Amino acid sequence: MADHTASRYGTALAVGVPSGPTTFAHRWARAVTGTSYIPMSRAELTEFLGRLTERLAAALVAEPFDVRPGARVGADLVVAHVCAPEGLGRSVEVVQLRLLRDLAMETADAETRLARLVGAMATGFAHALRDRTLDEQEQMRRAALSARDQAERGLRESEARFRHQAGHDPLTGLPNRTSFHERLTDVIRDPGTGTERIGVCFLDLDRFKVVNDSLGHRVGDQLLVSVARRLRHALGGHLVARLGGDKFGILVERTGSTDDVVEVAEAAIATVGRPALVDGQELTVSASAGIVEVPVVDAASGELMRAADSTVHWAKLAGGARWSLFDPERNRLELARHALSAALPGALDREEFFLDYQPLTSLRDGTVLGVEALVRWRHPELGLLGPDSFIGLAEETGLIVRLGAWVLAEACRQAREWPEPAPFVSVNLAVRQLHTPDLVHQVRDLLERTGLPPHRLQLEITESTMMTTAEEPARALRTLADLGVRIAIDDFGTGYCNLAYLRDLPVTELKVAGSFVTGLRSPVDGRADRTNERILTSLVALAHDLDLTVTAEGVETADQAERLREIGCDAGQGWHFGRPGPPERLLARLP
Amino acid sequence: MERPSVARMYDYYLGGSHNFAADREAARAVLAAVPDAPLMAQANRAFLRRAVQFLIDAGVRQFLDIGSGIPTVGNVHEIAQGAAPDSRVVYVDVDPIAVAHSREILADNDRATVIREDLRRPERILTHPQVTELLDFSRPVAVLIVAVLHFVPDSDRPAEILRTLRTALAPGSHLVLSQVSDDTDDASPQQHEAERVYQLTDNRLVVRTRAGLTALFDGFDLLEPGVVWVPQWHPECTESAGDAERAAFRGGVGRLSD
Repeated sequence: MADHTASRYGTALAVGVPSGPTTFAHRWARAVTGTSYIPMSRAELTEFLGRLTERLAAALVAEPFDVRPGARVGADLVVAHVCAPEGLGRSVEVVQLRLLRDLAMETADAETRLARLVGAMATGFAHALRDRTLDEQEQMRRAALSARDQAERGLRESEARFRHQAGHDPLTGLPNRTSFHERLTDVIRDPGTGTERIGVCFLDLDRFKVVNDSLGHRVGDQLLVSVARRLRHALGGHLVARLGGDKFGILVERTGSTDDVVEVAEAAIATVGRPALVDGQELTVSASAGIVEVPVVDAASGELMRAADSTVHWAKLAGGARWSLFDPERNRLELARHALSAALPGALDREEFFLDYQPLTSLRDGTVLGVEALVRWRHPELGLLGPDSFIGLAEETGLIVRLGAWVLAEACRQAREWPEPAPFVSVNLAVRQLHTPDLVHQVRDLLERTGLPPHRLQLEITESTMMTTAEEPARALRTLADLGVRIAIDDFGTGYCNLAYLRDLPVTELKVAGSFVTGLRSPVDGRADRTNERILTSLVALAHDLDLTVTAEGVETADQAERLREIGCDAGQGWHFGRPGPPERLLARLP
Repeated sequence: MERPSVARMYDYYLGGSHNFAADREAARAVLAAVPDAPLMAQANRAFLRRAVQFLIDAGVRQFLDIGSGIPTVGNVHEIAQGAAPDSRVVYVDVDPIAVAHSREILADNDRATVIREDLRRPERILTHPQVTELLDFSRPVAVLIVAVLHFVPDSDRPAEILRTLRTALAPGSHLVLSQVSDDTDDASPQQHEAERVYQLTDNRLVVRTRAGLTALFDGFDLLEPGVVWVPQWHPECTESAGDAERAAFRGGVGRLSD
């Protein structure tokens, strides 16, 4: 704000009334104080208004008269933030009432000039205030917009962060199972142009638990981070996710054939297999991979992931550090086995099992010496199932103990009903049953309860069972033998067996495996058959030397039966003598 | 924008136009109950100006203005940098529009900045990268908490907030506090009405006594004349300090001894 001091008033001030403008400025300052916030001390304000006073005074006497300085004074008030309407009102009032008097300028035309100057001051003030108000409003609108942008950006960022957190594994920073599944689903739903086939490879570290257990979870975690980094680096083009634990997933979104995924799996296995420096020590882990590669039209994400999961397991079963390719047939069988295995306990509760019996016939006189109890499952959906379909599963799950006990009890119960002289009943005993501590008590209790004489019960154990037989089961067998129960070795001659146990165990009978008998089918014309016969002959001789009887399994023809009789076998079992059947059919054959 | 903001209402009391219809409506409602509200705001703003000038005279060149609101007329960086151009100023406010506006005003000022943060989270303010970049806490800093603390209820533990800030400060640092104050037990009807209006802004009004406000200077040497009605704090002329309790704000300045 330029001061207009080069005026007649300026000269007058110098010679005349020095206190006039100062008095007025003080008055003016008092008048406007409090009308709005004025960012000055009172002294500064007075000084400022003093300068405005001088400019008004100069304008009053200027020749030619000009109102514009008045407008500028009004605008300068607003600039100094004397900007409230009250600030203008009081300024008009004080200037109108006091300026001429305080400055001793009460001349004839001064009042007219003053009125015009005050009018201009009000106009200048209003213009400036309107501009200032509009500017400030515009600033605020911009600020509001910018704040809203900021807020929206913040929201987007936090959403993105949240999405990232929800879709990523915090340890390795890789996408997690959810992300992997989502991406897979997306690709299947909306495959890119030219995408006809799709591949999924699951990767599991081999024996990772050992690292965790021996070196601690911290090292384990660092190893996972290192593996994740290497996978991401080696398979940059494909989505790599951590599916949980030490399992990673790789999505090959567009494949020409299975080979493309195999290539990826091999690269993954290779990169994981490189030694890694973790926590100052060199660690080497291997990985197993399961590969599924299918036409995208046939694909379903959940199914693909389950298939890849099973396939990794196959690679592990095969020894690890390798990949396996998904095989639908194997998968189907495994699923069926799994379903069957899961249904076993319920089937036992619902009494879906029953026994068939197959005769063990004397080769000397054709009498039925004994019968072998064979368990059957009347499956509500699959129909009649033989032991081959479920005994293995029962052994895997441990249900064999309950199932075996049921078979034993049922066989004893039924055998007791048969009229004397009845054959003995031969029941298979699984390894696990042999290891149950109360086997002896169980058998004794059963015999007592049913009243079946001990010599009419035969327990069949396999040769391989004997190999693992520790001291305790051997003692149990001896106790049972002492009770009078018969002990037979089933499938004799098929395992790699130490014959010494025949000396140590109270065995009563050897059941020679059917494979030896099969060789007797045709007349003796080849070397193999002759060898077969020699083995059988010496087996029988050995058994008889040890006071054991010999039963041949799998006898299918009269010819075979005749040969076995000649060799000296005591009994035969097989289709030739009768297929397994219900006890009624068996009883009909008894004399 | 529908909700009134205390920062923009304050601007309205000072005669500014950095406000929206909702702010003006709320401010007018306060004015109806408390006609002195503009006077109070102006007295408080004048206190801020004198305090900053005082600090500049004391050699302080770093300012942390928490709850700075709309950087309207007579803001800290204008006063401080006007007197000492090397002064550094960080504004802190929780109101996003106030922050956006400050950012625009400070765009060309590399010795002043603004961050959006809450007074109630002092550790976040102290560790904010923009704060640590501009302010050197190994040298004296003036923390200004002017006309804000009456929006911080005791349940937010203002004493702890101040302790956190204090422990980050070097000897020779200062604390400037002011807030609505009253020593009478019963709130006047006007005060109730003002409180009711401020409820609309998300900010409850907490009036503190002189003793209560003095206690918040714990750990600082309270400089003369202590906690007083703001017009009485280093007045520039006797006239301006008259009728001081009408200002309703009390304030003071403390110094962290060497």
